[in-house]
Amino acid sequence: MKSTAGIVVSAVVVALLAALPWYGNTVMLQFGISVLLLATLAQGWNIIGGYTGYASFGNSVFYGLGAYGVAIAMTQFNLPFWVGMLLGLALAVVFAALLGLAVLRLRGHYFAIATLGLAFIMTAIVSNLEIAGRNIGLVLPLLKSDVLFYELALGLLVLVTLTVLWLSRSRFGLGLVAIRENEEGAAVMGVNTTLYKVLAFMLSAAFTGLAGGIYAYYITFIDPVGVFDVSLNVKMIIMAVFGGPGSVLGPVVGAFVLSTISEVLATKVTSFASMFFGIVIVIAVVFMPRGIAHLVENFRRTGWRYFAGNVRTHRL
Amino acid sequence: MSAVAGGIGAAVPGNGKPLLEVAHLSAGYGEMQVLRSISLTVRQAEIVAMVGGNGAGKTTLLRAISRLIPSRGDVAFDGHPLAGTTADDVFAMGLVQVPEGRQLFDRMSVEENLRMGAYRRRDTPAITHDLDRMYAIFPRLADRRRQLAGSMSGGEQQMCAMARALMAKPRLMMVDEMSLGLAPVIVDLLLETMTRIRTEGVTVLLVEQDVHAALSVADRGYVMETGEIVREGTARELESDPEVQRAYLGDIAL
Amino acid sequence: MATPATSSGSEHILDVRGVTKRFHGLVAVNDVTFHLRRGEILGLIGPNGAGKTTLVSMVNGTMQPSAGDILFEGQSVRALPAFRRAHLGIGRTFQVMKPFPGMSVLENASVGALFGAKGGEHSLRRAREQARESLEFVGLGKRITQRADALGGPDRKRLELAKALAMQPRLLLLDEVMAGLNHVEIEEVIEDIRKVRDRGISILVIEHVMKAITSLSDRVFVLHHGEKIVEGPTDEVLRDPRVVEAYLGKKRT
Repeated sequence: MKSTAGIVVSAVVVALLAALPWYGNTVMLQFGISVLLLATLAQGWNIIGGYTGYASFGNSVFYGLGAYGVAIAMTQFNLPFWVGMLLGLALAVVFAALLGLAVLRLRGHYFAIATLGLAFIMTAIVSNLEIAGRNIGLVLPLLKSDVLFYELALGLLVLVTLTVLWLSRSRFGLGLVAIRENEEGAAVMGVNTTLYKVLAFMLSAAFTGLAGGIYAYYITFIDPVGVFDVSLNVKMIIMAVFGGPGSVLGPVVGAFVLSTISEVLATKVTSFASMFFGIVIVIAVVFMPRGIAHLVENFRRTGWRYFAGNVRTHRL
Repeated sequence: MSAVAGGIGAAVPGNGKPLLEVAHLSAGYGEMQVLRSISLTVRQAEIVAMVGGNGAGKTTLLRAISRLIPSRGDVAFDGHPLAGTTADDVFAMGLVQVPEGRQLFDRMSVEENLRMGAYRRRDTPAITHDLDRMYAIFPRLADRRRQLAGSMSGGEQQMCAMARALMAKPRLMMVDEMSLGLAPVIVDLLLETMTRIRTEGVTVLLVEQDVHAALSVADRGYVMETGEIVREGTARELESDPEVQRAYLGDIAL
Repeated sequence: MATPATSSGSEHILDVRGVTKRFHGLVAVNDVTFHLRRGEILGLIGPNGAGKTTLVSMVNGTMQPSAGDILFEGQSVRALPAFRRAHLGIGRTFQVMKPFPGMSVLENASVGALFGAKGGEHSLRRAREQARESLEFVGLGKRITQRADALGGPDRKRLELAKALAMQPRLLLLDEVMAGLNHVEIEEVIEDIRKVRDRGISILVIEHVMKAITSLSDRVFVLHHGEKIVEGPTDEVLRDPRVVEAYLGKKRT
């Protein structure tokens, strides 16, 4: 489906986005940073949750590790930002490897619950670490350049999306999908399921950690409760699932659409914003459970019956 | 139809009236046609055996009759056509299945399982009375009435499953693969209770892989192979019929 | 690592020795020994619950034996996980089929080509060609773009076989491939299995459809209550009174 037309369109979109600092205002820029980071998180989650089928509730841990990597490097050791990013990346990936080996042998719900517990554990641990500023947190050096953070975030999003694109057409990616569709069947056909799951988890952690690193420097202040926040994990899942898990652009579209809706609701209908947002999610889950990506793919064939069909499938 | 006083079943024994009539029944799963135009009859107070190898379609046949899967053809219970009825309706009419693998409520006690069998009944004193009858027929269950059903042996579970079905006051009880995974000694025990059940007025359709076990208590039998009935006759006739062996082991065995 | 046995060494592609499987006090397979010669089609029969699927699961690695050893081409594979045995050349179909529902038929078979024998292909293009070939062989050539879960019963069985074939196995374990097929389809699959053997693949066939056993296997062994009770040429075994009793039950007075 990625034809030359697709590539051209994508390049144009990226160029337009990159040019935002020159035609947009500060509010848009800041909104942009937030959306781009969220989209990266959703896309990162897509790797382990969408493609491999293991719904991780522990990605916020990698986000926090990335943030702390940058914060610790810069505040405690006076190292430059990019070194901090490497540290954060290393922390996230190593943690994912160790954790993955332990927790990826659990199936479905149990995996989700195990990863959910991690966020709380991490918060508790870091709150007691001197080097991480305990529960007071860390204050990073100030860099007043939203443009830089915006372009960094955009660059990261492009990178993770290209990675997912590679996944969608590589032997490794097909192995991951096989694991998702029928793990035992995949093993019997020669897929080293343990290795592949851990690698996917590490890949997911890498991008999530890098996003956390950018966030830390951008926001200038981090604390355990803030960066290991589970609701962030829930957000990234909702966006990925809304957009289309297991697709290349789905999570990005999901993040953009939902963030916009949320923003619009917050400004126009402030008091009921959360409620409306919840309603949007429920409607989406009922009428298009496989996300926007699947809707777009199949609408051409089935037309409006697509929605009716999904409603019917829910009524067992 | 009034129940025979003191009896479990609600059928009047011995009048030979057809209770279950199946004509040209075909069923399958999606594209796979498992049953091909099956016809059979079960009369009141009979024990009828349905034998055949694994994959012959016996379980599919019971599921089609119980309206658990869609089918083509005619099925009538006590003269009433079952077309358009649901599994619930069929149960309410007195056609009860003891499924393959028992399907007990593992985490409930034996007594709770039996009471579940009487779930739809409102005649509380009669239910208590019937519970006692169950314990009389199956003394092993009496000893274990508070034990968790899932913790019993295979044979005891089978007894529990049958007793549960009997608590529903069935007119026709269809038993699917009773002997599966059970030692021959236990199977003999269960076969004995089958004849006792019949004297209580319950008609039985016994679906079995173990031919000799089934024919030892049945009056009549049918032999299934690849979704078709290839032989029928009295139990005595089938006992010595080489066709039966052929249905299981193929032509070369003759 | 066991040394290859003396006289039977390279003749046997599979040697199962004294294999036992216990589940919480229940012995599902008890001290079973058998072998499969290169290029042979061996039949495995037995009544429901005899332990046939459990035995096969131990050969392909889905389950580990409680005791005993399994030698594939002379080397012990008992400790190897399923995916490594796939790389060595053991392929299997499942009675309860295991397709990848969300993927297309072609992708399903491609997984076999990508990860199968010797670790499979690394080139997606070559893998797809191999997959296409397997699909054509089983007669699914026209359905390669369909989603696997859109296939009907018999086609799902064909896909199950194609997936295993795409792995380029040297030993193929077929677990009740004929179940639910009509007479015509049974004949077709029998023919396909013969063609597979002609390619040099050794096959173990578990079946209840005796016609398949008699048409395909020269040798057969019988499992009953987890034990091997009879082994030998097909027509002899099917006439053996012990086998008849295993299937039909004990005669009662």
